[in-house]
Amino acid sequence: MIDFVQNTVDGIMFGSSYALLAIGFTIVFGVLRRINLAFGASIMLGAYAGTWLHVHYQVNVLVVALTTLVCTVLAGIYVERLCFRAIRRDAALASMVSSFVIWMQLEEAAVHLLPERTYAFPSFFVAGSFELGPFLFRGEQTTMLVLAALMVGALHLLLRHTRFGLALRAVSESPRAAAYMGIDTAWVMLCAFALVSLVGGVAGFAILATDEQITPFFGLWATFKGLIAMMLGGMGSLPGAVLGGLLLGVIEAHAQWYLGNEYKDLSAYLLLFAMLVLRPGGILGQRIHGREALAFRRV
Amino acid sequence: MSYYLGLLQLIGVHTLLGLSAYVLMLTGQLSLGQAGFFAIGAYSAGILTVIFELPILPALLAGALIAAFFAFLVGFPALRVKGLMLVVATIAFSEFVRLFFFNLSWRVPRGDIHVGPDSTNGFREIRYFVANGWSAWEITTFVWIFVILVMAALWWMDRSRAGAVLRAVGEDELAAQSAGINLTAVKVTAMTAGGFIAGIGGALYAHTATYVDHLTFTVLLATFAISYPILGGLSSVFGTLVAVIFIQGVLVEGLRFLGDWRNIVFGLLIIAAMNLKPSGLFDARTTLLLRRSVGLGGRE
Repeated sequence: MIDFVQNTVDGIMFGSSYALLAIGFTIVFGVLRRINLAFGASIMLGAYAGTWLHVHYQVNVLVVALTTLVCTVLAGIYVERLCFRAIRRDAALASMVSSFVIWMQLEEAAVHLLPERTYAFPSFFVAGSFELGPFLFRGEQTTMLVLAALMVGALHLLLRHTRFGLALRAVSESPRAAAYMGIDTAWVMLCAFALVSLVGGVAGFAILATDEQITPFFGLWATFKGLIAMMLGGMGSLPGAVLGGLLLGVIEAHAQWYLGNEYKDLSAYLLLFAMLVLRPGGILGQRIHGREALAFRRV
Repeated sequence: MSYYLGLLQLIGVHTLLGLSAYVLMLTGQLSLGQAGFFAIGAYSAGILTVIFELPILPALLAGALIAAFFAFLVGFPALRVKGLMLVVATIAFSEFVRLFFFNLSWRVPRGDIHVGPDSTNGFREIRYFVANGWSAWEITTFVWIFVILVMAALWWMDRSRAGAVLRAVGEDELAAQSAGINLTAVKVTAMTAGGFIAGIGGALYAHTATYVDHLTFTVLLATFAISYPILGGLSSVFGTLVAVIFIQGVLVEGLRFLGDWRNIVFGLLIIAAMNLKPSGLFDARTTLLLRRSVGLGGRE
């Protein structure tokens, strides 16, 4: 019983970073109705830039964090320009394929920056763990959870209580109607990309600082985790993304504990496949799914 | 010379992979699961020739049938999802297959060594062609016989009622259904046919490469599979073939002199192609122009 609760707690802690990645996918999907497969790779490129500074100039962790964020945002804007702005709106497929090709490109660039297989990534600070009753809380993971909660709160405020948030929601509701209302949809899309890259950068930094290492597999890993979490929660739904991320974290923690390490990813994919088949809209996205099913009939 | 023959074999195998995605795309389904079916074909046929010591033809056929069977199974649940959701569902399937082979270890003693899939170390001893003294020419011919057979079958199908039915479903499901087409049957059939073709491709790949491991079958391979028909357009099977030659023959090999920077340039070229021709290099208009210029007339 104690194991079960401990696993759940660990899952929620780690799932909070999945939730941030899922938010990145959900916002882009909401605004553009497209999937950005290069999301993980742009985070990785940002993190590699930060690591590069750390390896060559031994800068401190704050500079690494800042570089990671700035470079992730730049990479995100690059992806938006090449894969989403330039390609016609009705060619969602071409967009997805080219975002995947960009993934290859960004990964190649990152590997050029740092050609070794693994690099150490600076951790936040030396955070010990603390115990609460029989349960163990690890310092880095708790920081991650707090960071994720702050980000979600800030995003909620931004989307619900600012003019930009209103514009962004208007564009995801209907780009044409938003354009008639005088909203510069192209600008909103660019800002949305910058915003999700920022969120992704924070998530990436938190994950890497917890793992204390970075490998070239990180990009694809982040893309898959974010995508799975978004699909579980429901496409285009912000609470869904959070819920999906936490659920994914918990499921993985339990699968790892009860079935073994090699079943961790298998169980996540199986769950995703089952979810897509039984409830294609995800937990909270059924309403959106109905509308999308119509729009995506011919993707 | 053997280098060019190897390239020809690779182009043949990738054409089969692209054609398996082509069949599905005719019905409007976009699947990133082709890498999974390809992997099933590769591992099954490899296990049959290595562990059960079957000849190549029955092994190949069995591999293709096993892949088709799994495609059939995936076809039913995948019917419920469309568009991007189907893309993600099929990614989940093919990653599931990849992780399955990542964990699969089935070693049997053969003489003084052990052969068979060895989880993370891959499946190394698929040496049927070498053991039976096939020359590179014979292997290449063998591969291309299958490519030509599959292309001919698809070309013929495109011109029969079956092709019209597939395209009708791809154009507009509701209209197709109103015209009395059984959507479930059509989509599951297309999925099964796609799995079968990918299975042949995988089986041939495993035997030409003599070595497969789980990293061969990542989502990158699946992306290649759908890129070919997307780039080549859906108007005919030859679009896919031209796209494979363009990507594997011209881009991947031609850019080899760039060394490590190849992927970056490769990416830019694909994106340029996607930007200029979102519905493929051989969309309806280009095909018409081409047909006219070679004096074939052209259907409006």
